Amino acid sequence: MLRFSCLVFSRGAARRFASSFSSETALPPNLRLPSNLVDPDRLKRPPPPEDSSLPLIRKCDAALPAHLSPVRTWVDTLESKDSEPLGLTELHPDVFAVTPRLDILHAVETWQRNYKRISHANTKVRSEVRGGGRKPWKQKGSGRARHGSIRSPLWRGGGVSHGPRGPNSYYYMLPMKVRVQGLKVALSSKMAQQYLHVVDSLNIPTPDSQYLLELIRNRHWGESVLLVDVSQEFPENILQATANLKTVNLIPAIGLNVHSMLKHEAVILTLDTVRFLEEKLLWHDERYTFLYPFKLPYSDFP
Amino acid sequence: MAGSSLDVLQNLPRITLANLRPEPGARKNEKRRGRGQHGGNRSGRGHKGERQRGTRPRLGFEGGQTPFYLRIPKYGFNEGHSRRPQYQPLTLKRLQYLIDLGRVDPSQPIDLTQLVNARGVTIQPLKRDYGVQLVDEGSDIFAAKINIEVQRATEGAIAAIERNGGIITNSFYDPISLGILIKPVPFFMRGQPIPKRMLPGEDMVPYYMSAENRGYLADPEEIQQARRALAQKYGYVLPDISKDELCHMLAMRKDVRQIFFGLSPGWVVNMPEKKILKPTDEKLLQYYSS
Repeated sequence: MLRFSCLVFSRGAARRFASSFSSETALPPNLRLPSNLVDPDRLKRPPPPEDSSLPLIRKCDAALPAHLSPVRTWVDTLESKDSEPLGLTELHPDVFAVTPRLDILHAVETWQRNYKRISHANTKVRSEVRGGGRKPWKQKGSGRARHGSIRSPLWRGGGVSHGPRGPNSYYYMLPMKVRVQGLKVALSSKMAQQYLHVVDSLNIPTPDSQYLLELIRNRHWGESVLLVDVSQEFPENILQATANLKTVNLIPAIGLNVHSMLKHEAVILTLDTVRFLEEKLLWHDERYTFLYPFKLPYSDFP
Repeated sequence: MAGSSLDVLQNLPRITLANLRPEPGARKNEKRRGRGQHGGNRSGRGHKGERQRGTRPRLGFEGGQTPFYLRIPKYGFNEGHSRRPQYQPLTLKRLQYLIDLGRVDPSQPIDLTQLVNARGVTIQPLKRDYGVQLVDEGSDIFAAKINIEVQRATEGAIAAIERNGGIITNSFYDPISLGILIKPVPFFMRGQPIPKRMLPGEDMVPYYMSAENRGYLADPEEIQQARRALAQKYGYVLPDISKDELCHMLAMRKDVRQIFFGLSPGWVVNMPEKKILKPTDEKLLQYYSS
């Protein structure tokens, strides 16, 4: 029992191993673990308690249904490496706490991968292979098998019968509402697993990449971070800092997609991004079906 | 409720690109003929004969006996079906539903444009739709005072609307005007002047000139008489519209050649700059006001 008390682990990791041992929460005695193992559960900041003293910086703009309560998160700053959270935000539950439909996530992710795909694999059919118009030898009398051309699929060097034919497009579109729901599910699952963080803005004091990396390491955000801002123009400092970094990436809010969110471990949104996302993603819940293409003006299109 | 499933997620490993898979049972492997014990052998084609060899005769062939589809004599059931006007039905129940949900505003004249904007009906002018017809299913539930303009209406529907103090008119839209009416914005983006609405063809003129059908070409006095006659037939008291507060709105009717309420034929609407251009040439004015 003494051995378990000085282990770095908490109950979190034990829960993951609990499935192999019926109802024990203790670790097996013959388990050998490396000494520098870090338990991510202990490093994640718990969600803000009900009676927190920090100010509520932002409330939800849209009207909330009565049976749902908003999701509360901390609001951080990127100004200094180890600073306390500035305050709390309320996030709309219909965007950040929807049912985690993993099948929709899979569908949207495969769509994103495949709809742009054009496979240029092409093989020649027996009619396209050079040569092979003449009958190689007479039908009867030569003793060999009967053939009509030297480029039939049976022959070496002949055409392929059922091969890939020319540039082939794998384009298809998922319904707009499915793609929107995919974004909502991705945001909700990141929020539920505590990989989503809200920041007031993307202003950094120095254009130094090391500063960003140390900030991320101090706050235990993860290996890869996706920073999202509303406008397409970002502050100079953060542009320079992330320019040479492979795992820390900047995107505007219109470029937010399921693949990027799943590829990066942590997703950082600014308050403006949260407002933009809520406005755009909630509109699809209560809109009419379209009569003519959305490019033409509608009186109530956002 | 999403709460418990999100709580379960907290204890599970991170959702990454490597963790996603489709719902079990969503993807079924396709049947591949000619492979393996079950797909191979005869590959589902049966044993010998035309079935396996793929030389079966055409559908309907009965081995030489005069087939069924040639025995039966022709009769013009569907003759000219592509020239017959069709009207999308609109029940009074659906109309009441739209009014109750606030999708259609009863304090303004209800036009086909308003109905399509509320997504109450779907009109396809290219499929020989000539508009919408009012059907009297739900006439006992209907209780709204409206000024509605449709293309056809049953007697029961007319009675239900007039019982509640509304006005109903049957007007004709030729296919081009109909296409413009249901999708005004794409038409305005084209930049063409609003055309004048054509008059109905020979066979439809008697329908739109009779007062019983409340046609737009009929005499207003005859319409009043018909209203009183219908009230007597169905047994309700005809409410007096002229004493109503909304009587001005209820009495709004479109001109015979007009498509939209505020716009006359011949005007050009400029959507990006939000301007309306009116013709000044005499010949054009004469043509458009004829």
